[in-house]
Amino acid sequence: MWLGLWLAVISLAVGVVMGLNLPLVLPQAYAKYMSVAALAALDSVFGGIRAAMEDNFDNTIFITGFFSNTLLAAGLAFFGERLGMDLYLAAVVAFGVRLFQNLAIIRRHLLKK
Amino acid sequence: MKNALKKTTYLSISMVAVVVGLMMALQFRTTSNIDQAVPLDRVQELTIEKKQVERDLNQLKEESVDLKFKLEEAGKSHTAATDALESELLKNKLYGGLVPVEGQGVEVLLDNRPDSSFYNIKDDDLLKVLNDLRGAGAEAIAINGQRILSTSEVRLAGSHINVNLTRLSSPYKVVAIGPSATLKSSLELRGGLKEYLNDLGVSVTVQSEDRVLVPAYTGPLRFDYAKPTQR
Repeated sequence: MWLGLWLAVISLAVGVVMGLNLPLVLPQAYAKYMSVAALAALDSVFGGIRAAMEDNFDNTIFITGFFSNTLLAAGLAFFGERLGMDLYLAAVVAFGVRLFQNLAIIRRHLLKK
Repeated sequence: MKNALKKTTYLSISMVAVVVGLMMALQFRTTSNIDQAVPLDRVQELTIEKKQVERDLNQLKEESVDLKFKLEEAGKSHTAATDALESELLKNKLYGGLVPVEGQGVEVLLDNRPDSSFYNIKDDDLLKVLNDLRGAGAEAIAINGQRILSTSEVRLAGSHINVNLTRLSSPYKVVAIGPSATLKSSLELRGGLKEYLNDLGVSVTVQSEDRVLVPAYTGPLRFDYAKPTQR
């Protein structure tokens, strides 16, 4: 468990450093999709942490959920843009609510210990 | 089995973490760029504005072509007016004696006869010649290259005669443009000026020419007192 946490923290740091030093800059038009995708990814990560605390962590579900959520959120935002709707708001709300739920559950697990 | 599972779990966790970090960092950089870069809305706004401006530009181009056409028209009438003014100016210069003119006319040579050296040609004699020529229809007259204007004086000054404030001395060559035959005959009339001057002791030679040149007046023109008025 703790090894996993440390690994996650270190990998996160590596990712951040990579992202900050990458010579590529995301075009302004895609920033919206990227933000929703990042939110979905965060949601997946917290979902994974929650699952791990509830001891029903499934690697496959975690991985597939992470990528499908990310891509789906970005795709939804893109689709909404095409339709002239702010559909990414739906993704923001949905993932935001789930994020807070997951955080609440994680907090309870931590407090119960 | 469990160990292997653990390994893949750790691998996936670290992979996901890397991806999340990457995304967040990228997003962070993009959003922090927003202040420097142009926002998307602004781009759309400017695009619309640009289209509007382009439409305006096209309109203005059309207008410019139209106005150019009008300007050309105006220019044509302007040049016509200018031409009229120029021809008027030339006419006035011609009347005023400010341009050299040529045409048929007479050359009158007045000189003191060598055998009667006691007589000098006087201004009166020249004035009489001028008067006769004018009366016979001379249009342009010059004495020794001095164009006679409406303000020209012919005045005796010692042994010289001043014309246009220029000292002239004999022989005097009077060139006049006009009907040459009339001019010549009016001077050579019986009992006319030629005879009269001959009697005084002045040799007068009148020569009718097909083409004589009367130079332009080149001195200053001063109208210090005479001002144009509507009265």
